[in-house]
Amino acid sequence: MTAVRKYPVLAALVLGAAFMVLPFVVVLMNAVKSPEEYSSDGPLSMPDGVYLDGLTDFWERVDFGQKLWNSVLISGSVALLAVVLSVLSAYAIGIGRIRGRPYVLAFFVLANMLPQESLVYPIYYLSKEAGLYDTRLSVVIVFTVVQSAFGTYLLSSVLGGFPREVIEAARIDGATKWQVLWRVVVPVSRPTIGVLMVLFFIWTWNEFLLPLVMLVSDDNQTVSVALGVLQGQRDMDATMTNAAALLGVLPAIAFFLIFQRTLTRGIAVGAVK
Amino acid sequence: MLKARRRARLLAAALAGALSLSTLAACGDSDDGGSGDGKTLRLWHYEGPDSAMGKAWAEAIKEFEDSHPGVKVEFEEKGFEQIQKTAPQVLNSDQAPDLMEYNKGNATTGQLSRQGLLTDLTEEAEKRGWADAVPPTVATTSRYDENGVMGDGAWYGIPNYAEYTMVYYNKDLFAEHGVEVPTTFAELEEALATFADAGITPFANAGAEYMAQQYLYQLALSQADKAWVDSFQMGGETDFSDAAWTYAAETFADWVDKGYIAENSSGTKAEDAGVSFIQGKHPMLFSGSWWFGRFQAEVQKFDWDTFLWPGSDLTLGSGGNLWVVPEGADNKELAYDFIDITMKKGIQNILGDNGGVPVAADPAAISDPQSQALIKDYTTLADGDGLAYYPDWPANGFYDSMTSETQKLITGSAEPGDVLKSLQSEYDENVLQE
Repeated sequence: MTAVRKYPVLAALVLGAAFMVLPFVVVLMNAVKSPEEYSSDGPLSMPDGVYLDGLTDFWERVDFGQKLWNSVLISGSVALLAVVLSVLSAYAIGIGRIRGRPYVLAFFVLANMLPQESLVYPIYYLSKEAGLYDTRLSVVIVFTVVQSAFGTYLLSSVLGGFPREVIEAARIDGATKWQVLWRVVVPVSRPTIGVLMVLFFIWTWNEFLLPLVMLVSDDNQTVSVALGVLQGQRDMDATMTNAAALLGVLPAIAFFLIFQRTLTRGIAVGAVK
Repeated sequence: MLKARRRARLLAAALAGALSLSTLAACGDSDDGGSGDGKTLRLWHYEGPDSAMGKAWAEAIKEFEDSHPGVKVEFEEKGFEQIQKTAPQVLNSDQAPDLMEYNKGNATTGQLSRQGLLTDLTEEAEKRGWADAVPPTVATTSRYDENGVMGDGAWYGIPNYAEYTMVYYNKDLFAEHGVEVPTTFAELEEALATFADAGITPFANAGAEYMAQQYLYQLALSQADKAWVDSFQMGGETDFSDAAWTYAAETFADWVDKGYIAENSSGTKAEDAGVSFIQGKHPMLFSGSWWFGRFQAEVQKFDWDTFLWPGSDLTLGSGGNLWVVPEGADNKELAYDFIDITMKKGIQNILGDNGGVPVAADPAAISDPQSQALIKDYTTLADGDGLAYYPDWPANGFYDSMTSETQKLITGSAEPGDVLKSLQSEYDENVLQE
């Protein structure tokens, strides 16, 4: 009985997984083709052999190691700082229950929905005035704020349902507000915080527009900006673009695989609540 | 005990945080290399290393460093989109390079020149002979008036190369079907009919991008003269119900009916059209010289060559992208020297040998016969003032209007007359007035 019910679901999942994986397979196939082979046989043919020049050429052309380091530095700092900031403000809003809470939250949601295009000029002028134009620090600051707007919103609602008995018990034992935050609230909310950190990292990793505008020098650019080098005005190098896409997505996949247990745990925790 | 360990951990975390912040700040302070010491030339362009321009300019950097001992060229390859999107901001900051490649046109170089972000190169162009080397039809995109409208005025950019459109054809397919290279428009239509009868769509086309509107504009140009082009491109006036436009729209629609242009090409991209030509699926492709180098490198299955659109003195084309010197550049003299090197025969010939169309090459020094023909055709056009620019130039947002209206011709969802009427209203509303 269970087997009968299981198989259609399984089949549907396999089909869904195939659809999800297919684009990656196409990218992988074309990343190891030579441009001539791509042009004469098209994107869907199997590669005749493994041609790795596209990968190595791209790596050298954009000094990919440097870009990788920049991306890790920026995304890592943003993930860490944004989570800290979110926890602090969510503690005030969710548990401290400050006055005008709904308005503050609404403001954060609004800030979160603001299209980035509208931020470009203000941020450009501010960072130029502050001497931070074309520095990685400027991008870190901007995304820490952008991501923590979402983080505050999410964490506040999670902490809003935090069992008050636990906090009161800690208070009775003589814990200060600061101690309640770091010894009670944060350890209990760790799964959610972990998810936030992973999400912030991946989101920041994938950001394109603001890094494109803010990071002018090659030495400061991130992976996603470096990929743009291959798109010419009227021409594109399809195989090298595929090679570059592969290089660009690998770190994010690796990061996801490493932290996937954190992610699923966080989702499950949210579900029970 | 437990407490002490916690505290130590907290301290470590705080330290790590402070450390990472300080490294970030340190990176931020890294000097921008831009000091007016005459020792570095900061150079940006967005051509791939294997393109004609990429190769020629790599050689130019070498020559520059040889002739300027002690001067270092700091070259950064940028993405086209990055330069497009961020040039005004970068040029307005102290991160501006000394020399960069930039797109020609009113909305790009014109706008920057109007905002005072580019150096007026007129004096250098006269002194160093660039003004004489660039033919007038190509120089149109180098000169901008005080409103940033191209045509005449001061020189703000120097082009190393030009571009124009032509028909690329598959010699093997032509031979197989007994088709000769057409020299008149009637012969072209005959050739098209022969291929269509054999079940082959003769023209590769891309309706979602620039290609389709270039067929349309070329058809109009075959019935037009220079005065018509000047009025349409710079005068801000054109009549889409005149003979040339009507002929173009009707012929284009007719060709789709007859199967000369595929009905299902309304959503395809230029890349698809180019690749299908390389695969030998279509005997002809009408497009720009920017494909030349790629076809030279990648077409392996057949012989190919090019011819100009038969029966037309005018074709699409213009000067290529420009070297511009930002107003905030620190080493302008070095930038001028570099431009000068790229205008010399040596670099110009490298451009020509790799499938580019140099503005001032020595045709006799080009060894490859295909490239020789490419440059010969260009000389014919430049001497006859035959470059008619691109159909989307005269009005804001006209590229999108052109694309969607030609798509209607391809799918047959609108009559040629209606298409022209929509184009007229879009043009009148958005045209850039001088």
